[in-house]
Amino acid sequence: MPTRKEESERIALLQGTLDLLILNVLQLGPVHGQGIARAILRQSEETFFVDHGSLYLALQRLEDGRLISAKWGVSENNRKARFYTLTAKGREQLTAKTSQWNRLARAMALVLKPNAEEV
Amino acid sequence: MFRRRRSASDFAEEIQAHLALEADELEACGVPEDEAQRRARVTFGSVAVARERFNLRGHAAWLDDLLQDVRFGVRMMLRKPAFSAVAVLTLAVGIGACVTAFSWIDGILLQPLSGVADATRLVTLESLTPNGAMVPNSYPDFRDFRDRLSTVDVAVAHPAAFSVGPDGHGERVWGEMVSGNYFAVLGVQPEVGRVFQPAEIPDAPGKSPIAVISDRYWRSHLGADPSIVGKTIRVNQHELTVAGVASAEFHGMIPAMAFDIWVPYMEQSDLNGVPLWMLRDRHDRNMLGIARLKQGVTFEQARQEVKALAERMAILNADVSEGMSATLLPLWKSPHGPQGLLLGPLRILMGVSVLVLLIVCANVANLLLARATMREPEFAARLALGATRFRLGRQVLTETLLLTLAGAALGLAATPWLTHALHFLLPPGNIRQMVLTDAHPRFALLAFTAGIGMLAALASGLVPALRVGRLNLTARLNAAGRSGHAGRGRTGSVLVASEVALALVTLVGAGLFLRGFRETLKIDPGFDPSHVMLNQFYLTANGYTLAQRKEFCRRLAERMMSSPGVTDAAYSDGIPLGFEPSWWEELEIEGYARHPNENMNIFRNVVSPGYLPLMHIPIVEGRNLTDADNETQKVGSMVVNQAFVRRFFPDRDAVGKKVHGWGSWFRIVGVARDSKYHYLGEPETPYFYVPFRQVYREDMNLAFYVRTQGDPANVLSTLRAQALGIDPNVTVFDAAPMSEFIGASLYPQKVAASLMSVLSALALLMAAVGLYSVIAYSVAQRTQEIGVRMALGAAPSHVLRMVVRQGMALASLGLAAGLALSFVLARLVASMSFTNSAMGSSANLMGSSSTDPLVYVAAVLFLYALAAVAALLPARRAAAIEPMKALRAE
Repeated sequence: MPTRKEESERIALLQGTLDLLILNVLQLGPVHGQGIARAILRQSEETFFVDHGSLYLALQRLEDGRLISAKWGVSENNRKARFYTLTAKGREQLTAKTSQWNRLARAMALVLKPNAEEV
Repeated sequence: MFRRRRSASDFAEEIQAHLALEADELEACGVPEDEAQRRARVTFGSVAVARERFNLRGHAAWLDDLLQDVRFGVRMMLRKPAFSAVAVLTLAVGIGACVTAFSWIDGILLQPLSGVADATRLVTLESLTPNGAMVPNSYPDFRDFRDRLSTVDVAVAHPAAFSVGPDGHGERVWGEMVSGNYFAVLGVQPEVGRVFQPAEIPDAPGKSPIAVISDRYWRSHLGADPSIVGKTIRVNQHELTVAGVASAEFHGMIPAMAFDIWVPYMEQSDLNGVPLWMLRDRHDRNMLGIARLKQGVTFEQARQEVKALAERMAILNADVSEGMSATLLPLWKSPHGPQGLLLGPLRILMGVSVLVLLIVCANVANLLLARATMREPEFAARLALGATRFRLGRQVLTETLLLTLAGAALGLAATPWLTHALHFLLPPGNIRQMVLTDAHPRFALLAFTAGIGMLAALASGLVPALRVGRLNLTARLNAAGRSGHAGRGRTGSVLVASEVALALVTLVGAGLFLRGFRETLKIDPGFDPSHVMLNQFYLTANGYTLAQRKEFCRRLAERMMSSPGVTDAAYSDGIPLGFEPSWWEELEIEGYARHPNENMNIFRNVVSPGYLPLMHIPIVEGRNLTDADNETQKVGSMVVNQAFVRRFFPDRDAVGKKVHGWGSWFRIVGVARDSKYHYLGEPETPYFYVPFRQVYREDMNLAFYVRTQGDPANVLSTLRAQALGIDPNVTVFDAAPMSEFIGASLYPQKVAASLMSVLSALALLMAAVGLYSVIAYSVAQRTQEIGVRMALGAAPSHVLRMVVRQGMALASLGLAAGLALSFVLARLVASMSFTNSAMGSSANLMGSSSTDPLVYVAAVLFLYALAAVAALLPARRAAAIEPMKALRAE
């Protein structure tokens, strides 16, 4: 049974970051919706709370935008599931967004550091 | 690229898969099955919300919003039933009026002929006299047109009354005498049997005793029996073989009229006793022409060819056709048939209906504005919650559309009844039985209704929708529920002012038409129609020869003169002020030098000696026609009117001069006083009378007049008995009091005046309601302000004046605009005339009253009074405001 953090320690995702997280998860190959939700939760060490309604809406948005493609298939434990795959366009987008995010994170860290010391 | 949109069920399946996978994973960690499934659901959150969000994404939202708008709109409509009822009813009135006007125009002008193939390629063929007047065609001219034109196929027909049925029990049936190619050119299909084939009908008289009957007659008189084909029916006491029944939609070739039997024109001589030379006479122009443009031929090409051929024919037949020409016209422009009378009134009717609809739209827009203001808190809240302005504006438009939809449906439902009203407006007599008014809803009508409804929705909803779009959120929220908003007042005021302006236009229009009509009624016709019974006989239908007809008339007049209560009896060819056109003759006048191209076609009547005395038309010079003016005279006799003398004998004595017409000479024996001949409003018209016994011909009509001491209707039974006494076969004639019959000439004016009156009353009501609602609303808005004023010492009378002044200012604005518009429109309408023939005689619809200042002044004063009343009611309410209450109310 996976460990569970307290609700208060979880952080609601920033607008726009969910797309990036999804693309990142799909980097390694086709995954279904539930797998993506699990992966995000696990990779963020249970910090990010994924609203499932938003997740599926984001998946649909990415699919409509041709960043990912979807196909019904069978999961490892023989369940029917809809698998998502990164398209070439999606891979491009992931690279661009990742570097953008890294710059943003560095900048945020630079700005926030002195204040952090004061606390 | 196009990809099929993902279905909601596919999405639902994916969510189910997610829940199953999640439960599997939990179970794998040792959670019991039930608990695993519950936890999976809890972690996921609301499945319903996820699905709703999936459904709402992208374009699907558009349709969803629309449905939501419609649902919301219907709820709003039901919540304010009074408001909705007023809006829907006014819209129904406006739309109904427009649709009715359109259905008449559609039936009479736009799709005049039904049951024919490709009506768009059919045009009217008219001969042109040297002065440009349009006249029907002669049969020999038709043969030239038929045989020598390469761009069009030409057919002709001549409307006529037939007596159908066994001798002695014949029934009058209206039909057309047609050329052999008539059905082929029109492209009419038979219901049973066949229609005439061009090859079976030669141009020789009496060779084709056959007939085609209408579906209507076949069903009403022959029990829809298909075996009638090949059998004979008795027509004008001759046997005709029924070739077939025309298709149910076909009614003949005169727009808006319905005929029941078609007989080859060459049977004229047998059926109506018309002498053979008249069938060959190019002067005998009584055939209405219709032409079908051949494939690939333009109207202009065909018109040029017709013109060129007719001009060549005029040179070849110079004795009868010198200077003549011919032309093609769109069907609805044909001067023959009822559309000549209806064109003017219908055009005006359409215009006025649109005006009324505009007023209705302004009114509904005002109602919507008032309501939109009341709903401002609702809109502001929705804006604050993230609704876009576009979305709100669209919702207002959807609501308006719903209102107009209901209005249009109601209006359309009422159209059949309104359409039938056209029948009641028609003049009495033959025309009423013949005119088709059973217009069934057609696609064009539905399309028009839909279009008008959309326009109405846009016109009345756009302003409120735009205002919602401009709604100032912060100002609105800061006002925090305080009432009073200047913007709405201004838009509303403009709307009301334009409503007043439009109402003034209709009121002035109605006034001008009514006054013109009144004036026309006051015109002295120059003869005395009271106590005169008019009877129209169709003796040719009884197989009478010319001599027999003359003899019948003479004996009937003799018998009637000796009947009790009868003071006078007379007969003639034409009827003054009748619906049917009067005929003319081309004259040559001794001692009068004709100007080049001068129109010498002078209107005439062929009368018995008793005609002028019976009509109380005095002889001012010379003598009246007598029984001595008969067939034995070498030089005929003629009585002319004063206008005739003024034109041809300005400074000479007319009596005793010789005049040439009908191929022989006549001597003027007297001068009769001028009277009215075609329309009461016509200008002075040269006219002449020739003796019945000298000029009466086979193709002329027969009107028999009886002057009585008492009610002319009482003489009818005597007349019937006397006619049957002479010949038991004469069972068919039309009778009507003369004073009623001549009302036909007033018909177009009467229609215009009565329709305008009804519509302007509607417009006034709408404008008054609009004015009242705007002022009442503004008083309600200013309750607090008025309270302050009164608390500070303003007297109630002062408040009253202030509010009324506001209303009057609005009205003045509208009236000024309306006056300007009225002047322009009146000038336009004043130039419209109507005619029942193309023979150069017409009268103006409006009479001479288009600039009558009295009408304008009266209309303005009336509307002012109306505005005062509309403003006074809310003003009194304002004056009765208790200052303390008003201030506390906020």
